[in-house]
Amino acid sequence: MSEPVRGHGSAVGILKRLWPVLALAAVIAAIAVAASFAPAVLQRRTTQGLINLIAVVGLYVFVGNSGVLSFGNVAFMAIGAYVSALLTMKPTAKSVFLPDLPAVIAHAEWPTLPGALAGGIAAAFVALVIGWPLMRLSGISASIATFAILVVANVVFGNWTSVTGGQNSLMGLPAYVDLWTALAWAVAAIVIAFAYQETRSALLLRASREDEAAAQAAGVDVVRHRLIAFVISAFLSGVAGVLLGHFLGIVRVENFYLDLTFLIVAMLVVGGRGSLTGAVAGAVVIAALTEVLRQIEVGFQVGKTTIAAPAGTGDVILALIMLLIILLRPDGIAAGREFTWPFGRT
Amino acid sequence: MTSGAPLLAISGLVVRYGAVAAVREVDLQVDESEIVSIIGPNGAGKTSLILAVAGIIAPAAGTVIFAGRTLGGIALEDVVAQGIALVPEGRHIFASLTVMENLLLGATVRRDSRAVAADLDRFFAMFPILAERRRQPAGQLSGGEQQQLAIARALLSRPRLLMLDEPSLGLSPMMVDQIYALLSTIRTQGVTILLVEQNAERVFGISNRVCVMSGGKFALAGDAAEIKSHPRFDAAYFGVHVREAASGP
Amino acid sequence: MERLVQILADAVSVGSLYALTALGIGLIFGVMRLINFAHGELITFAAYTLLALFGQPVPIMIFGGIAVAVVLALVTERAAFRPLRNADPTTLLISSFAVSFFLQKLLILVVGSRLKGLDFLPELGRQIEFAGIRLQLLQIVTIIVGIVLLAALTWFLRATRLGLHMRAAAEDFRMARVLGVRANKVIAVAFALSGILAAAVSCLIVVQTGVVQPRMGLQLVIIAFVGTVIGGLGSLSGAALGGFLVGAATILLQAFLPPDLRAFREAFVFIAVALVLLFRPQGLIPARGLKERI
Repeated sequence: MSEPVRGHGSAVGILKRLWPVLALAAVIAAIAVAASFAPAVLQRRTTQGLINLIAVVGLYVFVGNSGVLSFGNVAFMAIGAYVSALLTMKPTAKSVFLPDLPAVIAHAEWPTLPGALAGGIAAAFVALVIGWPLMRLSGISASIATFAILVVANVVFGNWTSVTGGQNSLMGLPAYVDLWTALAWAVAAIVIAFAYQETRSALLLRASREDEAAAQAAGVDVVRHRLIAFVISAFLSGVAGVLLGHFLGIVRVENFYLDLTFLIVAMLVVGGRGSLTGAVAGAVVIAALTEVLRQIEVGFQVGKTTIAAPAGTGDVILALIMLLIILLRPDGIAAGREFTWPFGRT
Repeated sequence: MTSGAPLLAISGLVVRYGAVAAVREVDLQVDESEIVSIIGPNGAGKTSLILAVAGIIAPAAGTVIFAGRTLGGIALEDVVAQGIALVPEGRHIFASLTVMENLLLGATVRRDSRAVAADLDRFFAMFPILAERRRQPAGQLSGGEQQQLAIARALLSRPRLLMLDEPSLGLSPMMVDQIYALLSTIRTQGVTILLVEQNAERVFGISNRVCVMSGGKFALAGDAAEIKSHPRFDAAYFGVHVREAASGP
Repeated sequence: MERLVQILADAVSVGSLYALTALGIGLIFGVMRLINFAHGELITFAAYTLLALFGQPVPIMIFGGIAVAVVLALVTERAAFRPLRNADPTTLLISSFAVSFFLQKLLILVVGSRLKGLDFLPELGRQIEFAGIRLQLLQIVTIIVGIVLLAALTWFLRATRLGLHMRAAAEDFRMARVLGVRANKVIAVAFALSGILAAAVSCLIVVQTGVVQPRMGLQLVIIAFVGTVIGGLGSLSGAALGGFLVGAATILLQAFLPPDLRAFREAFVFIAVALVLLFRPQGLIPARGLKERI
C-alpha cells in the first residue's frame, strides 16, 4: 500500500505524494482523448468502461482498505440509478412508467448534477444504516452478508413496482452521460479514493487488515473505520450506478445483479485489490479484454463465411482469466503497489 | 538396545523467518533413552528448533538425522510415521472431541488395533483421571489433565522420540510435579525425550543433559549437574553476551 | 387447521432442503474455511445430468446425478482450491466465486440459458391423505430424505475413523496433520460428501419445480449461505439449523404476510437474519474451539 511520503513540503514533495493519483488521472484522460477520435461505437464503449471504472474504484475503497470482500456494491449502484432516475426524469415520463409514485417525486424534475449527488448520497445513507450491524461481523460472514444485500436489493427493486417499475425497464432517463462526463466523474472518483486512503482512518483500517485482534488490542475501533470505508465505497458505487442509468437511458433491475457484480469483482481481482492503481488497471485491462472477446463472438469474415465463437464464450473466458489470476497471481496485476514516482528515489 | 550412533543428530541447523534467524547453527546429539532439555527465555529459538526437527519448518541450513535417516521437507502428516511425536506448546487437544477420541487420534498411523487397545488400557491405568473422563469432551478437562491427555496421545503413536514444548506452561506446581514424574517413567520405557522449557528449575531433576539456548544458539550445554551449578548459568540464560534478540516462533 | 398443518409441512420440507444445502456448504467450511459458491453449480450440474439421462431407469438417473456432482466437486477441489490451501479466506472466497461463475457460464455456453422442463418422478406430486390432512408425497419424501441424510452424516462423523479425522481437522487442522491425519484425504472426502448432498437436493428440487435452468443452484445456496452464517460458521449443526430456519421462514412468511408484501419475503428473512447477527454475531450454535478467525 502506498505510504504517505513525509517531510517534503516543497512543490516536488507534494508532486511526489500525489503522483499515483496524477498518473492514474492522466492515463484515463489519455484513453478518453484517444477514444474521442474513434468511431461512435468505440466512444460509447469507452464511456461505459469509465463508468465501470468508477464502480471498481468504489469497490476498491472498501475491499482494498478493509480486506473484506463485498458483493453488495452493485446494490448501491442500483440505489443510485433509481434515485437519480426518479428525481431527474421528466414528470411526463414518470407518469407513464410509474403512475403510482408519491406526488412529490412524481412532479420532481431535478437538474442532473444534484440528481447524481442525491443518488450517491442515498446509497451512502443505506450503507450507513445497513453497515452499522454488518461491520461487526468477521470477514467471511461480512462478505456473505454483503451478498445478502445484493439479493435483498434485487428482490426489493424487482417487486416495488410502484416506485421502480418492478421487473419492467424504467425508460426515459435523461441520457446526459457522454465520454467527458464519465471522464470527469472517473477522475473525481480516483481523487476521492486517493484522498480517503491517505487519511488516518484508512491507515488504521489497513493495519487492522493483517491482524484484527492486534489492532483491537491497540484500541483501534475497527468497526467504525470499516463503516467509514463502506459508506464512501457506497457513495462512489451509487454514482457509478447513476451514470450507468443515464448513459443507457434505462434502468433494469436484472442489469444490477450477479453478472455486473462478477464483472466488477473480476476487474478488481485482476487489477489487484490492494491498491488504487490495481483497481484502475483492472478496469482498463478487463474493458480491453471484453472488447476483444466481444469481437471474437461477433466473428471475422473469411471469404463467404463468418468464423465466430458461440455466444457466451466471452463470459467463460473472463471467468477463466479471473480464476487463473487468483490461482497464479492472487495479488493481481498491480500486486498492491501504487504508481511510483519515476524520477529518482523519494 | 544401544548402538553407537545417536538417535537424533542435528548439525549446523539454521532456521529463518524471512531475514531473521531464529536458530543459528545449532549442533545437538540425543542418544536413546536420554532426556535432553533445552531451556532459555522467550524468543530464544527453542520452539523453532523442535519444529525444525519435527519437519514442520524447513531449515535454511544444516541437517537433521533421525534414526539414521536425514529428515528434511517431509509433509506434516509423515512426522509421526518417522517415530517422532510432538506435544506442542499449548497442548492443542481437540476440545470438542472426547478424551477417548483424542487418544484414538494419537494412534492414527498405527495399524495394529489390538496393540492399540492394549496401549489404551495401559494409559488408562497410568492416567486414572483420563480413564474416568474418557467419554467427556476434552475441553472440560483441567489444564493439567489436558497436558496428561496430550502426552498420552503422543505416546499412543509409539514414538521413539517424544518432543514437548513447554509442558509446564499454565500448570500448578503440583501438576508440574506429576507431569515430570510421568516423563521420568516414560523414559524408563525406552522413549527418548527432548524437552523445551522456560522453567529452568524443574528440568534438572530428570534430564541427562541440559542445553541453555539464547539468541538462537546454545550458550551452554552439558550434563545436567554440571550446568545446574555452572557459574555462568545466569548470564547464559539471560543472554547477557548476545547482542540482538532473535524473533521467536 | 388443515391449512396450518399444510403450511407447516411445507415449511419443514423446504427447511430440510435448505438444511441439506447448508450442510454441504458447512462441511467444506469446516475443513477448509472456504465458502463454496460453486456448491450451487454442483446442484445445477446434477440436475442437468438428470435431464441428460432422462428415459433411463430412475436409479440410474439418480446415480448419474450423484456421480457428476461428486466428480465435479473433487475436480474443483483439486484444480481451484488445493493450490490455495494456505491462502487467506478472502482469496479462497474469490476463488470459489470465480469457479462458480466459470461453471455457470460454461454450462450456458453448452446448453443455453433457457430453462428446460423435466418431468422427473411425477408420482411424487401425488397428494396423500394423512390423519385427515392432505399432504404432498414429495413433502414427506423430502423430510425423510433430509432426516436420513442428516442421520447418515452424523453417524459417519461420529462412528467412523475418517469421520473422526474430519472432525479433528475441522477443529485444529494443523494439529490433526501433526498426528498423521492426511489433509488431502479429509478434504477430498468432505468435497465428495458435499457432492452427494448437492445431488440429493438437486433431485428433490427438480421433482418439485419440474424445471432445470443454469441459475437454479444459486437461489438455494444464497439462502443456505445466510443460513450457515446465522447458524454459526464452523459448526455443522449450526449450519443445518440455520439453513432449516431460514428456509422454513421463507415459507412461513409466504403464508402469513399480507399479499402485497409476499414478494418481499426474502427481504424480510434477511432483515431478520441481520437482527439475529446484531445480537449474536457468532451465530446460533457457534463452533467450539474455532481457533482461527474467519
